[in-house]
Amino acid sequence: MSGVDPVRPGPLLGTAPNPDAALSVRGLTKRFGSFTAVDGIDFDVPRGQIFGFLGPNGSGKTTTIRMLTGTSGANAGAALVLGEDVLSHPERVKKRFGYMSQKFALFEDLTVEENLRFYAGVYDLSAEEFAKQRAYVLAMADLRGRENELTANLSVGWRQRLALGTATIHQPELLFLDEPTGGVDPVARRHFWDLLYDLASRGVTLFVTTHYMDEASHCNQLAFIYRGGLIAEGRRTTFAAT
Amino acid sequence: MRSLSRIGAVTAKEFIHLLRDRRTLAVVLALPVLQMLLFAYAISFDVKNVATVVIDLDKTPASQAYVSSYESSDFFTVVGTGDDLAAVDGVFDHNQALIAVVVPSGFGRSLAAGEKGSVAVYLDGSEPTAARVGQAFSTALNQVYSQQVTIRWADAQGLDVTAAGQLEPRVRTWYNPEKRSSDYLIPGLMVVIIMVVAVQQTAVSLVREREQGTDEQLAISPMRRWEMMLGKVAPWTLLAFLELAVVTAVGMWFFDLPLRGSIGVLALGAALFVFCSLGLGLVISAVAPSLETANMLGLLLSILPAFILSGFAFPLSSIPGWLQVVSCLFPARFMVTITRGVFLKGAGLAELWPEIAALGAYAVVVIAVAIVLTRRRR
Ligand SMILES: Nc1ncnc2c1ncn2[C@@H]1O[C@H](COP(=O)(O)OP(=O)(O)O)[C@@H](O)[C@H]1O
Ligand SMILES: [Mg+2]
Repeated sequence: MSGVDPVRPGPLLGTAPNPDAALSVRGLTKRFGSFTAVDGIDFDVPRGQIFGFLGPNGSGKTTTIRMLTGTSGANAGAALVLGEDVLSHPERVKKRFGYMSQKFALFEDLTVEENLRFYAGVYDLSAEEFAKQRAYVLAMADLRGRENELTANLSVGWRQRLALGTATIHQPELLFLDEPTGGVDPVARRHFWDLLYDLASRGVTLFVTTHYMDEASHCNQLAFIYRGGLIAEGRRTTFAAT
Repeated sequence: MRSLSRIGAVTAKEFIHLLRDRRTLAVVLALPVLQMLLFAYAISFDVKNVATVVIDLDKTPASQAYVSSYESSDFFTVVGTGDDLAAVDGVFDHNQALIAVVVPSGFGRSLAAGEKGSVAVYLDGSEPTAARVGQAFSTALNQVYSQQVTIRWADAQGLDVTAAGQLEPRVRTWYNPEKRSSDYLIPGLMVVIIMVVAVQQTAVSLVREREQGTDEQLAISPMRRWEMMLGKVAPWTLLAFLELAVVTAVGMWFFDLPLRGSIGVLALGAALFVFCSLGLGLVISAVAPSLETANMLGLLLSILPAFILSGFAFPLSSIPGWLQVVSCLFPARFMVTITRGVFLKGAGLAELWPEIAALGAYAVVVIAVAIVLTRRRR
């Protein structure tokens, strides 16, 4: 694969948010008391991109995701998610994006099947949709034949793939992944990125946070956040083929 | 419709959690019954099976009938008989019995003559509680017996005493005297059990989701807060009702608990009470920083008020005024009034509507507070 987009580092400061982008953020700010966790960041993520959001621990990545998913309010700024104002009306887009948290939010005392079924219920899938998505997720996560295994008994790599499966069970247009490869061995990590490429090739926009610099090579657009502020932002012209 | 799908998903999941967690399941299902049996037996034990020696010096059919009334009573266990007054000393010295009943000769004759027969009851004073209670029951038994004699006498004279009205009910009240304490306690114990289970389980369940990160995952989903709460509360409501049914059944079978009032009012009160308890659990889980704290708070805020501030262990009128005010912060006191009213007094909505209304208001307020508190956490 090779990126063809030109570098576009230009500041978006002061421009109106772009409703056609998957994500369009202007001046987004979050304070905890006197501490500013996210400090007026701007970026646009066009649809279909793999957007890498890089930064060391504590730089504000998770806080940004929380605001973009409507679970935490912002103190200032604007954010359009899939064209909707997520800060004031998160419920309008909640069905259209997915989220995979740092912790692989699976119920360990439930089986693979039961976890899938639960999240299908949460997103109100019809029986046909569920059957289709279940088959897709089981194939994707390489869990066919292990449907009735307890999630607690899966190794980290499988659990991570199942978490990806549950996060995409409702076929979201945009997927937030918060440090999805933490604690996973390099082979499983590579396998996981293959799955992400597959999702991207189906047109899903990916927003991936990481503090592993080497994972930047998997993304076709990058932003670096440090102490709450963006220090660099742009698109790669080329990136490593896999 | 969508809400229904989401609530159903949560409820189904909660049931699976419960079925997989054998220990909690065992605690939830077996402990209440066990607790009730232990509790009720321990409490009624001091008025049951008191070792008794019967000494019949009269040896007439009348005296034998009197003596057999001790044998057939749950309260006394006749451990020996004798025909010599001197046997009493030996019996007490060797701790064989706490009570000795002596029927003097001439007992049968005075009864036949329509006079009052007299019996001597000796008590072992070294066991004051049992002795005192024994004395009370012995007296009661004598009254029962003398009434039966009266009835028999009246029958023989061709009089209808039951129609006269006053003998039959008194016979019945006195006939099961040893069961009164458990009658009084079981309706209260029910409330304690339901409260402990409901508060404890919900207190823990939201905190666990927070620690697993599933709470965050769900916050991002289209699931609304109240849908999740309702979904979580539903299985426990069902379970609480199951427990109520089991405790009622055990109470009625093993302790002859009467159910005199309206089952509908009991069910309505129980439903509201379960919601109150679950709401209290949700409030705890909203403020508790960790699973341990949630557990602790859950126990503290369920057991203490249910025992002390409900009228279960002490009458509410006997606790200090400020504690009476505090007791209104917990739903148990209203429910104890309802269970006792329905089981023992035959009460219905006409008598119990203030308690029902109080529980309804409490449920609405506490669940609203829980929702506000969980929202504020983010
Ligand atoms: N609820 C909160 N209250 C106070 N400070 C917070 C809260 N959440 C995050 N922070 C702080 O904000 C900063 C950014 O956190 P976070 O977004 O989690 O970082 P990252 O995900 O990049 O590791 C950290 O210094 C963190 O301690
Ligand atoms: Mg983080």
